[in-house]
Amino acid sequence: MTAVETEGLTRFYGDLCAVRDLTLSVDGEIFGLLGPNGSGKTTTVKMLTTLLPPSSGSARICGHDVVREAPAVRERISYVPQEMAVDIKLTGRENVLLFARLYGVPAPLDRTDQALALMGLSDRADDRTATYSGGMRRRLELAQALVHEPAVLFLDEPTIGLDVAARKRIWEHIISLRHDGVTVFVTTHYMDEADRACDRVAFLDRGSVVMLGSPSSLKASIPGETIIARISGSFNPQEIPGLTFVGQRGDLLTFTGPPTQDGITSIQRELDHQGIPVHEIGRREPTLDDVFLQAVGSQDAAGPFDDHRFRLILRRRG
Amino acid sequence: MKRVLVYLDRDLLRWKRGRVAVVSNLVMPAAWLIFVGLALPIRFTDHYLDFITPGILILTVLSTSLQGGSLLMFDKVLGFLNKFLALPAPRESILLGKILFITLRGIIQATIILIIAVLIGASLYGPSQYALMYLILFLFGALFAAAATTVALYLEDHDSYAAFNTMISMPLFFTSTALIPYAAMPEWLKVIASVNPLSIAIDGIRAVALGIVPLASIGILTLLGGGVLLICLHVFRHVTV
Repeated sequence: MTAVETEGLTRFYGDLCAVRDLTLSVDGEIFGLLGPNGSGKTTTVKMLTTLLPPSSGSARICGHDVVREAPAVRERISYVPQEMAVDIKLTGRENVLLFARLYGVPAPLDRTDQALALMGLSDRADDRTATYSGGMRRRLELAQALVHEPAVLFLDEPTIGLDVAARKRIWEHIISLRHDGVTVFVTTHYMDEADRACDRVAFLDRGSVVMLGSPSSLKASIPGETIIARISGSFNPQEIPGLTFVGQRGDLLTFTGPPTQDGITSIQRELDHQGIPVHEIGRREPTLDDVFLQAVGSQDAAGPFDDHRFRLILRRRG
Repeated sequence: MKRVLVYLDRDLLRWKRGRVAVVSNLVMPAAWLIFVGLALPIRFTDHYLDFITPGILILTVLSTSLQGGSLLMFDKVLGFLNKFLALPAPRESILLGKILFITLRGIIQATIILIIAVLIGASLYGPSQYALMYLILFLFGALFAAAATTVALYLEDHDSYAAFNTMISMPLFFTSTALIPYAAMPEWLKVIASVNPLSIAIDGIRAVALGIVPLASIGILTLLGGGVLLICLHVFRHVTV
């Protein structure tokens, strides 16, 4: 049975469409939902975890409808929201034991020990979680989520706010869960992390899926080579023969072109011509960032910052 | 029911570890008891402390119950509630656990206030009178705990919850029979006081002190509490975040 299946899943907040016509099928994999802030990732996860009813369309978890069979869905999932929600007044063990008891698992004490051990927290289990680092708190949340052996694990931005080493460790745990047969549905806006860990990813842009596939196939879809230039100021897009300007993000310009041509020289010439200081220019392997830019164009070009929309989404997220 | 106890257990553990609040919640009712109960020059009774003690006990339970709403607000703001709502445990066990904890806490604090009252000269009741008094305190506490928890579910943040709390607690207290008997009230206040749930509970406890079993008070509080609880249960089952 398919772990996560959605058909035309749509959610409106008033007249704002947060998620539009999402049709997905996810099973036995790490599936990454990628996109910038406010693109609808959290709303999607909330619908899939029965916290928010869809405006239209449907979603099924292990064959159970998220609206009509919400209790059955909740039996099969675990959800780790974006906020780091561990109880700092309780110890690590107490935090996990709470969830073991709420899930009603048999032998909650043993399951708690196992889950703590799995996440490498056994030696600190009896310390108050107020003394835990960010990475440890996140792992503790994973232990809470795993204590009832869910079929599908929903993680909303699992590595947000963590340092590099902690992120790496979280992803290692996520990958090993997939090997144990758990379907992992994860949202992130860190493209590089998704690239390394996810079996398939979908890009969300303003509520709609703009691309879907394995990271390698998506990257391979970018024709030719990618050239990156780090500059100061902003580039005024000009026709450079044989090259396509993908977009500018911060001080990085991305171009693509056929590998045969000496694109670097042409770009350097154009930038010099515009009087833009160039700090670095070179070829590189395409990344998911490039794929995303290619799919939606430059993020700035996608329209001005919509304050109303931003606030509405933040508020709704609650 | 087992899940209700798990939630209750969690809140008790958290309460035990946050010692400051245990004391600070007692200061206000104790101050009323001592500074108003002992010092106010009153003509309608020669034992004002005995008159005011039921009112202060109810005030203690009222303020802990209303503050109890902020517990749910914490769970909501910190992201615990989202996790709890996504659990297979029945959602109403979140509410019932909170009501039980808040009411239990209110009763413990009321007991401390009662001990202070007796120490400074309030009359002692018989065991069956205390049993009836605690029943009223429980019903009253549960009524407001249910209402406060559900209101907190809908409000945005701690500030708006604190505003709600201030807005209703003092008016409720002053329009009740906590400080003044009906006989000493102006006509318009009598009308308000007689429908105020605080008066119903306070009058009940005063009747108990006179050796009467206040079936009317107990009945009204049970009906009111049951009604509010049903509404709150419905809300919790269908809440979205």
